Amino acid sequence: MFKRFIIFLTGILLLSGNSLFSFASFEPTQEDALLLNKIEQDTLQYFIRFSDKKTGLTRDSSRAGSPSSIAATGFALAGYAIGGSRGWMSPELAYSRLLTTLQMLKNKTAHKEGFFYHFVDAQTGKRIWASEASSMDTALVVAGALLAAKYYPGTEVEKLAYEIYARVNWKWMLNGSDFVCMGWTPEAKFLPYYWDCYSELMVLQALAIGAPHHPIPPAAWKKWLRPTEEYHGHKVVYASTGSLFTYQFSHAYIDFRKLMDKNINFFENSKEATLANRDYSLSFSEKYKGYSENSWGLSASLGPGGYKAYGGKPGTGTHDGTIAPYAALSSIVFTPEQSTKAARFFYENYQKNLYGNFGFKDAFNLDKDWWSDEYLGIDQGITLLMLENYLNEEAVWKKFMELAPVQRWIELTGLDKKLQPSKD
Amino acid sequence: MLQNRRKHFFINKPLQIRYMLFLTVPLLIISAVTIFGFYIGIWGKVLDAFSDQQTREDLLTASRMIEYEQARHPETHQTLSSLSLFKQTEKLSARQREVFKEILNETNRSLLWKFALLLTVIAWGTVFLSHKIAGPLYRFSKAFDEMEKGNYRTRVFLRKLDEGHPVAEELNAALEKTDHLLAELKVISQENDASQAVAKIREKLSNIKTSADV
Repeated sequence: MFKRFIIFLTGILLLSGNSLFSFASFEPTQEDALLLNKIEQDTLQYFIRFSDKKTGLTRDSSRAGSPSSIAATGFALAGYAIGGSRGWMSPELAYSRLLTTLQMLKNKTAHKEGFFYHFVDAQTGKRIWASEASSMDTALVVAGALLAAKYYPGTEVEKLAYEIYARVNWKWMLNGSDFVCMGWTPEAKFLPYYWDCYSELMVLQALAIGAPHHPIPPAAWKKWLRPTEEYHGHKVVYASTGSLFTYQFSHAYIDFRKLMDKNINFFENSKEATLANRDYSLSFSEKYKGYSENSWGLSASLGPGGYKAYGGKPGTGTHDGTIAPYAALSSIVFTPEQSTKAARFFYENYQKNLYGNFGFKDAFNLDKDWWSDEYLGIDQGITLLMLENYLNEEAVWKKFMELAPVQRWIELTGLDKKLQPSKD
Repeated sequence: MLQNRRKHFFINKPLQIRYMLFLTVPLLIISAVTIFGFYIGIWGKVLDAFSDQQTREDLLTASRMIEYEQARHPETHQTLSSLSLFKQTEKLSARQREVFKEILNETNRSLLWKFALLLTVIAWGTVFLSHKIAGPLYRFSKAFDEMEKGNYRTRVFLRKLDEGHPVAEELNAALEKTDHLLAELKVISQENDASQAVAKIREKLSNIKTSADV
């Protein structure tokens, strides 16, 4: 009862803020705002519950036996900073969790040239499952660390975060090419895959170009492909899978609203991609029971047949009736009205099967009567950060965009900061 | 054709029945052991995989790792494995395929030593059984060689468990009789009175049937 009152009070306080939802004309009802706050707060609990108490490394999923994921650990770092600032965690707990995790990452977690392995043992930090030293997952953990550093300036947290960042040899991961390699393993050396086409790569590029040590050439920004296609009137620079998360991950940290990449505004692009993704699932609403106006979100998630890169058009558009609530929710900064309605719809209709102690579970498929019983760390992370941007005065964006490496990346790549895109 | 038709299925009933037992009992045992081994081995592993929490978790994690890889690199192809022998697996998801592939590989590994043991038993059994026949045949062949060379003192001696003891006894009796006859003829031929010796030889040979009697 007391918890509910606190949530209600938080909602009231948030709604009274002048700059709340300043980037969109849509304003959620008080009831919706309370629900969204509850979801964000519950989602944060995943990182508190599923991070090792001694090492701070966060489990990839809530499933028993799941290894620790470096990307999820990055989201945990961001989560603790948010939790501490919002009063959802005591300042002491938030700080100690950050310190423990960063010390583990700096001193004991396996890495190659500063790149952490995709999956590590939660107790020892050793590489497991023959995973690769991953450039993208390292970028996500560094992004989380730098965000936390911004919340705790002049502390050991900031010092460790920058030490971890400085250690990463971004240039080495180019492997002599124009693109950042996806990973490296001791057995096969560099993987035959590169971040050479639009995807979640922008946050990686930003950190690699803006790095104070071992940066990649700024020219790398212009090298990666920006394939464009139109679907239902939505012109999109698209990722091959058409998965919604590819349009969200970089935007969790980077505020692209005022950045123009020649004639592309990637914030607007993600908005169009989200609407296209929603339209795509709606076009199959007669075939799949789970697709409807307020039930959408095709993105990489668990499904009845395992984890798949579900997605819409433009892109390969793999789908089988599985909806990932996190996908619709994490588009809230792009499509606040549709995402808020989706959140309410999922919560009111499927709460029993889909909502738990840590927010929305990963996915569901009505046609197969399949309900995920798991939460995935990275899907929890993107939900948390996007809700924080939407509900708390763009807090993550504001702090992250102030970082020197981010400013350096903008300057070096010539991204135009002058343009003011439309508000809705 | 009809003349060559087998009229009696049992020419030597005890021998044949014994051999039927020799062949069918081991085959039945081998089949039973094999089927039981496969049954217990495979299903034991399947049940283990799904009942042992740690194994189950490891398998799920392993399959999840593959799925993550495939989601990030969709062009990754599945490598050829023992799973490709089963067409039914085409209907399974990547996750399920990976789980069953692990079970199958584990089962194959555990069955390998059982196969080796079974092969050793079969090899030993085959040698034992074939030796019971091949040994006597070899000794008969050597005896016939000696007879061809004119040595009628030769005899066939078989091992206790060899087949063909009655035949060997009959052959040895025939050899003994021939040996005695030839020995007597040899002694008579050395007598000084040639006409008397010829008469004795004729008498001895009168009961002997040869191609010269036609």
